[in-house]
Amino acid sequence: MFDTIYPQLIGLCTGALLLTSALMVWRHSLLASIRLLSVQGFALAALVAVIGVEEGETEVIIVSVLVLLVKGIGLPWVLAHETQATTRTDEAPRLNPTAGLLTVALLTILSYVVASRLLAGDSSVSAHAAPIGLAMVLIGFLLLVTRRQAGSQLIGFLVLDNGIATVAFLTSGGVPLFLELGISLDVLLVVVILYVFAGRMRNKFGNTDIDQLRKLHD
Amino acid sequence: MTALEAGMLGQVLLLALAVTGALLVGTRWRSRVIGTLCALLAAAGIVTGAIALFGGEGSLTIPTALPMDPLVLSPDRLGGLVMMVVSAVGVLASLFGIGSARVASASRTSWVSMAVFLFGMQLVPAATDIVSFLLFWEIMTLGSTALLLAHHATRGTVASAIVWYSAMSQLSFFFVLAGFAVLAAATGGTGFSGLATVDPASWQASLAFVLLLLGFGGKAELVPLHVWVPRVLPEAPGHVAAAMSGAMVNIGVYGALLVCVRLLPNGPAWWGVLLMALGGLSALYGILQASVASNLKVLLAYSTTENMGLVFLGLGASVLLRADDATAAADAALVAALLLMVSHAAFKATLFLGAGAIARSTGEMNLDRLGGLGSRMPWTAATFGAAAMGAAALPVTSGFVAEWMLLQALIHGSRVDGEVVSVTASVAMPLAVAVIALTAGLALLTFVKAYGIAFLARPRSPKATQAREVPVIMRVSLVLGALGVIALGLVPGPLAVAIASAVGPAFAPDVRTVGLAGVDARGIDAVLDPTTFVVLAALLLVPVLIALFASARRHPTRTSPLPWAGGGSRLRPRMQYTATSYAEPLVRVFDDVLRPSRDVEVTHVGESRYLVERVHVEQSVSDVIETRFYRPMLNAAQRFGILARRAQNGSIHRYLSYSFVALLSVLIVVSL
Repeated sequence: MFDTIYPQLIGLCTGALLLTSALMVWRHSLLASIRLLSVQGFALAALVAVIGVEEGETEVIIVSVLVLLVKGIGLPWVLAHETQATTRTDEAPRLNPTAGLLTVALLTILSYVVASRLLAGDSSVSAHAAPIGLAMVLIGFLLLVTRRQAGSQLIGFLVLDNGIATVAFLTSGGVPLFLELGISLDVLLVVVILYVFAGRMRNKFGNTDIDQLRKLHD
Repeated sequence: MTALEAGMLGQVLLLALAVTGALLVGTRWRSRVIGTLCALLAAAGIVTGAIALFGGEGSLTIPTALPMDPLVLSPDRLGGLVMMVVSAVGVLASLFGIGSARVASASRTSWVSMAVFLFGMQLVPAATDIVSFLLFWEIMTLGSTALLLAHHATRGTVASAIVWYSAMSQLSFFFVLAGFAVLAAATGGTGFSGLATVDPASWQASLAFVLLLLGFGGKAELVPLHVWVPRVLPEAPGHVAAAMSGAMVNIGVYGALLVCVRLLPNGPAWWGVLLMALGGLSALYGILQASVASNLKVLLAYSTTENMGLVFLGLGASVLLRADDATAAADAALVAALLLMVSHAAFKATLFLGAGAIARSTGEMNLDRLGGLGSRMPWTAATFGAAAMGAAALPVTSGFVAEWMLLQALIHGSRVDGEVVSVTASVAMPLAVAVIALTAGLALLTFVKAYGIAFLARPRSPKATQAREVPVIMRVSLVLGALGVIALGLVPGPLAVAIASAVGPAFAPDVRTVGLAGVDARGIDAVLDPTTFVVLAALLLVPVLIALFASARRHPTRTSPLPWAGGGSRLRPRMQYTATSYAEPLVRVFDDVLRPSRDVEVTHVGESRYLVERVHVEQSVSDVIETRFYRPMLNAAQRFGILARRAQNGSIHRYLSYSFVALLSVLIVVSL
């Protein structure tokens, strides 16, 4: 029973991941992006859970709970909390939505092409879905390059991180619990530190446009 | 443990003592304690060098975990000779430093760097493999750089001098490293004994030779790698300049000897021609710049370029003649080059110490503002005079013996048994003789100017009027240096024999001691015995002098002050010859090479066209090689830098885009 719906579940989860990533490129509002990031965290947790059930390993299921807590609830909550506490500025990205979505399509195609070369011999379901992870890495990078505000950049960074996690879970069937714990805490720490920096930037310059950060101080 | 090993370990121990001492001892006693320790460190170097020179055996191995030949310190005879020479200069510089180091140059950093500098310099000749050679080479360079930094807080020009020095040091290090790397790649080892198996006729050997020559030439202040010298040495304190110009340049010569005598002996003739061309160019250019310089330290710095040029000229002649099978003359030229190296170390160290003494007493290095120091600083004047005679290659000094021997070798070089050895040699040798002749003439002029303007006549500034003789310890150092110059000139025989044994076993110059410690180069039938000459001259002159004195006593001297002032004594110091006016004819003759810039500014009295209130003349001679060769290169580098800044504008987005594009390119390449 589960074997028959397993490919569909994997497809559903990865589809949700790709969709949320693409929507993040499309939406400019920071809060909307944070909500999408939360949905993406849930989708990633679901993906991990599906893999865990398929392989019958409790450890992976525990990892999925951890992912849910950190990426689905924890990080978006931290981001949303900080964003609401300060004045909101909407993003004016360097790429308009149409061009952004076109680029996303191109990047997805590229990742499928690359993955078809790299995973040529692997015909398992999860290997078929792996290009989505690669596409998320590229989309995250695209967000990093095109967004001006420090907060939006942080979201790009997190999408990139989610992409890496997706590739890891799909190709190797998950990472050990301790490793995942460590990585999650690292990401959490990075986000907190970056947010503190963004807050100080705002206090100092009045906004968080990183284009203004060009000169080094002695 | 052999004596040689004990000597080298002693140097390590004394270095450790000096460094800890410099860090612990307070300001009041620091110079005395650490100066003494540095002098002891250098004395240990002299002893070790002497043991090695007379055939002592022994080695220190530095253990490493790297996959290459072990680092072994074991000076051979040649290394021992060089170690002795640099250590002797080190002793003089340390003793002088005890008295002269003040404020910034007596700081902890300065004394630590001094000890490290001396140590590195003394152990470069002990290296028997590439890695330890480069290790001590860099220790030496770093030590000297830190020493130069002493006065950076009070003088703005120090920073630019340091930048030049560091850049040129790194350039020569790069060339040395590249040259050794070529040899190592050709043989597969890093030990010098292994490198010596390279065939000198192969292209690797030639490439390595050119690279190493550029590297070592940079340290030996050869044109066109000399640009740091006239900037750096004037900024250095006297004893540091003496150690750099008297000792460190010898390490450059040692490197060239290592290549021509140990690693790649019997090279092709064009190597010799290249060495001679480089040396001759340096000699001429150096002495020309020195002859018109009015800053005493710049003058001495350029004179170093000249002397090193002559050393390389001799070395080149030896390579060329050996390639043409004129072995006797080749060996004589090699001995002459080494003699010149040793004597240069003696007189240049003394001259720089003398300049340091002048700087301490007057605070002035511009010859145009000195004068009259002979009566105020008699010890300095006498020792500086002896050393200046050495630098001008006048008889009974060491410089004379060396240049005489070099000329003998060159004159006898182009013919063996009346037959011309080769066309190249018969063209190159007379040209080299002409270069040496011109150089010697200009050197005489230069040092007459340096001594005459600084020590004779009347003081040209209040500072010079108030000059006082330097403390005893500095005088001791000056006298030791001057004695060295005279001793090497009077008894050159033993030194020449020691040099001849040092270049063996591949080379065996036939040099003997003759007469009263004179030198006899049998291969070219040249004999010089200065002591006998002096004794004979004295025997002839003493009766004449006695007769002169006797007649002078009978006719009392008329005393009229300054008869050339038209009977009056209103001669002002400014009416005397200055260094600039003395060199004026030379500047006119060599106008095309020196390209001086002159600025004459006349202030008239009121509305009058004929009455002049004041004339201001300013003349500066720039280094043509710097303005024509280095400046364009630096400008090009700067333009490139400005272009590169457009790519690196500090925007995070731009850097992120670079990585994104790089990642995409990798992915696209993978998927193709």
